[in-house]
Amino acid sequence: MKLAWWMRRRQKERDLREELEFHLSEEAEEREAAGLSRDQARAAARRDLGNVTLLQEDTRAMWTWTLLEQFMQDARYALRTMARNKAVSAFAVVSLAMGIGAGTAIYSFMDAILLRQLPIADPSSLVEISWRAKHVERQAGRSGPSQFVLHGIDGRWDNDETGAHARIFPFAAVAPLREVSAPVLSGLFTYFHYGRMNILINGNAELADVEYVSGGFFQGLWVLPTAGRAIEPDDDRPAAPPVVVLSHGYAQRRFGAAEQAVGQPILVNNLPFTVAGVAPPEFFGVDPGIAPAVYLPQSTNPLLDPDAVARNVNPNHYWIGVMGRLRPGVTHEQAQAAMAPVFAHWVAPTANTDPERANLPQLNVDPGGRGLDTLRDTYSKPLYVLLAMVGLILAIACANMANLLLARAAARRREIAVRLSIGAGRLRLIRQLLTESLVLALLSGALGIFIGVAGIRLLTVLLANGDAAFTLHAALNARVLFVSIAVSALCGTLFGLAPAIRSTRLTLVPALKNIDLMPRMRLQQALVVAQIALLALLLVSAGLLTRTLANLQSVPLGFNPESVLLFQVNAPQAGYPAAGVAAFYDNLRGRFTAIPGVRAATLSHSSLIRAGRAYSLLADGAEAPGTRFLQTGPGFFSAMQIPILQGREIDERDRAGSLPVVVVSDLFARTFFANQNPLGRHVQVRSRFSIDLEVIGVAADARYGGLKGTNPPVVYAPYAQLPARELQQMTYALRTDGDPLRHVPIVRAIVHDADARVPVTNVVTQRDEIDQTMNQEIVLARLCMAFAIVALAIACVGLYGTLAYAVARRTREIGIRIALGARRGAVVWMVLRDVCALAAIGLAISVPIARGTSKFITSFLFDTTPNDPRAMAFAAATLFAAALAAGYGPARRASRIDPTTALRNE
Amino acid sequence: MARKPPARVDLFRGTLDLLILKTLLPGPSHGHAIAKHIQRTSEDLLQVETGSLYPGLYRLEAAGWVTAAWDISEKGKRARYYRITALGRKQLASEHSKWDAFVRAMRLLLNPGSERA
Repeated sequence: MKLAWWMRRRQKERDLREELEFHLSEEAEEREAAGLSRDQARAAARRDLGNVTLLQEDTRAMWTWTLLEQFMQDARYALRTMARNKAVSAFAVVSLAMGIGAGTAIYSFMDAILLRQLPIADPSSLVEISWRAKHVERQAGRSGPSQFVLHGIDGRWDNDETGAHARIFPFAAVAPLREVSAPVLSGLFTYFHYGRMNILINGNAELADVEYVSGGFFQGLWVLPTAGRAIEPDDDRPAAPPVVVLSHGYAQRRFGAAEQAVGQPILVNNLPFTVAGVAPPEFFGVDPGIAPAVYLPQSTNPLLDPDAVARNVNPNHYWIGVMGRLRPGVTHEQAQAAMAPVFAHWVAPTANTDPERANLPQLNVDPGGRGLDTLRDTYSKPLYVLLAMVGLILAIACANMANLLLARAAARRREIAVRLSIGAGRLRLIRQLLTESLVLALLSGALGIFIGVAGIRLLTVLLANGDAAFTLHAALNARVLFVSIAVSALCGTLFGLAPAIRSTRLTLVPALKNIDLMPRMRLQQALVVAQIALLALLLVSAGLLTRTLANLQSVPLGFNPESVLLFQVNAPQAGYPAAGVAAFYDNLRGRFTAIPGVRAATLSHSSLIRAGRAYSLLADGAEAPGTRFLQTGPGFFSAMQIPILQGREIDERDRAGSLPVVVVSDLFARTFFANQNPLGRHVQVRSRFSIDLEVIGVAADARYGGLKGTNPPVVYAPYAQLPARELQQMTYALRTDGDPLRHVPIVRAIVHDADARVPVTNVVTQRDEIDQTMNQEIVLARLCMAFAIVALAIACVGLYGTLAYAVARRTREIGIRIALGARRGAVVWMVLRDVCALAAIGLAISVPIARGTSKFITSFLFDTTPNDPRAMAFAAATLFAAALAAGYGPARRASRIDPTTALRNE
Repeated sequence: MARKPPARVDLFRGTLDLLILKTLLPGPSHGHAIAKHIQRTSEDLLQVETGSLYPGLYRLEAAGWVTAAWDISEKGKRARYYRITALGRKQLASEHSKWDAFVRAMRLLLNPGSERA
């Protein structure tokens, strides 16, 4: 009905006009009859009628569609105005869109990481069992009393000043917890993320992520398999037939379809299993960061891992994750109250020393609906930093928009004065000006969403940085969209309001006469100063992060990372007999050496950068704490180009049966054989195995286990002389001519030919591997640099616009100065001086803020202090250079002002 | 004739609707005639501003209390004639009684005792 009215509104307009015309003529006739002349009568009638336009508007207001109609009118008008000032509008829209787009992309990731719930039924009733303890002091050497009940761990724990915390427990603690939880939890289940195992399906070997789960895992999560059945309590018994559940993606990839996988035999680390079922497509396990491909019953752990039996009964080894499902009506606090005492009772006897007894872990029951937070731990901090930066960009963009709108409003003062003087309502005008900024903001929002989608793709690539197992997939979802649009609308209102109120508050007469009585450009200048201050913050953080990256990249490696191909091979896992493993690895090395273009081939149990193995070691009988261990093959030092300072390197002579030898790092020699000849001395391993090694060489220090932190002392032992069961995975390093990656196909062919069950994994160049370890720093530095550049561009244009406007306003003054003999150079300097003053004020404001806030990014810095003077200097120099560049155009224009034209202008 | 402006009375809010409906009760009329009728009947005490008359008419039309149609006036011109509807009559009756009560209350308060007279 209303709509029909709306459609007929033209007809109504005509009716109203005609009706008023009739009224006018009646009135005139009446007056004419009373004796007035025709013209007088008509004029009197019109006077009597009053403001026809107002009357029409009032009447139209009765048609109730006015608000919408006015908005449409305003929006159309806004678009027309924007079309007239294409450059300004385009810039305003694009700069805001970049802010919104970057925000959308970052927020999408935060949404995926921080806010997403596990894709399972009723996640709010899931609980995660964890423990807390006081901060555990690092043990000084092996001598002192043990400080904490946790002696061994598979998985991670956090231990910092705020305390120790982990979500993993000894296996032996699970049974008492399960028993006591029965009244509060409808199910208590466990998981253990093992890592990658060799999965052989139809003769094709591949490594896939494996998770051990208890029989109640799928039941407790209320996850129903898409095909077959889930792992059930009956499967989780010692003698049960071994079954697996596959993830949907993995089943599809390996079997073509989920249904076809069910009942098929597969080999896991060369042991036969049967596929019982396939998990639903959306299920990724309990940790959004891991997404296992294969789920095994916990009870099969001893079959696959000879150490499992000892681990299962060790009350000081923490490794198994525990979750539960609350019974209806039970809160997690109640569950904690029920379970914590039982754990305390269980854990007390596992403490053997006084420090252990003084700091026992205490059980917590936390809401588990969001899944575990390894991803959150890894990415949330950098994302918060990025979000803060995006916030700064958005603020700069908004200030810019406000500035542009202010300038535009100033240019339209006459138009607005005219409209006010002929009776336009002030609120109505403000509404119209607001509509214009809202239209700008919404356009930016729309464009920003596109930029956001592109940004998400870019961020995914950047964060994954070649990591094939990267599981974080952010998508632009409705919530993100809503936040973006809300932000842009808010921006529109915020930056539209000030200019709108301001420009309608002008004194009419001078404005109509085009006399400039505007107060000095205080607001504009304040906005510019704020922009510069924000920009300086961004520049400082960009400088700090870039320096961090540069510092990391200039860490001396001690070996030559160029033209080296790395890849892993794990023969024992594929079922290769332990006795033949050493020979198998040696044979492969020989065949790799023979590849044309490969100058040297060697191997070690891990690449230097990823290595991290420590045994209890003695240097001639004395403890050698903190020493790291590397199993190496022949020719390791020459292939990696690590100089041998004394003695000789490990070569083909050092095989099983010959005298066990070792090469020690320079640091090791200096620390433990100070001022003595290390050659001929002995290093003893006293750990899972015992061996006595004679020192035959000293190698220059090379980075071991990452780039950060102090480099540890290292001993390098020939793998062939170690007990056969110590040989597991090996990483080959091939020093090549030219691009290392072009040898990958032949490497795969050689390994496949040697044993088809053994896959080649983690193929990467040494350079890329090093880059991966500083991925976070690279991403942060690059993004922050990109943000700083975007912000710089936005702020420069804002500065330029403000100055150009200021110069235009001062045309007359400058004309007079020039007419009175001011030199052009002096005029240029006069304008630039203002720019520099603004920049200096902005900088002065931001320096203390930067010093205060850059502490937040301390944890991302390496070898750089938050107050790094070079980063500050970089920011200041960039700022002034940018300010001068932005100011030069308007300054030049000012110096070119022709006095006669300028003065005639009035 | 130079009309001597009588001491005019401001219309109370809401009374215009009542006056228009009352004016239309005998038969359809156009805007100008409605204004004149109110002015004349009130002995020039009430002057309906054009600025409120037409919005008022359109408001009544939107409320469904009057309908409007184009017709030829007695002078042979096209004019928009307003006609009161059944709904309008009901509204008039209720407004009328409310107004009566209001007037009685005012009189009682301003001239105590005059009620008996």
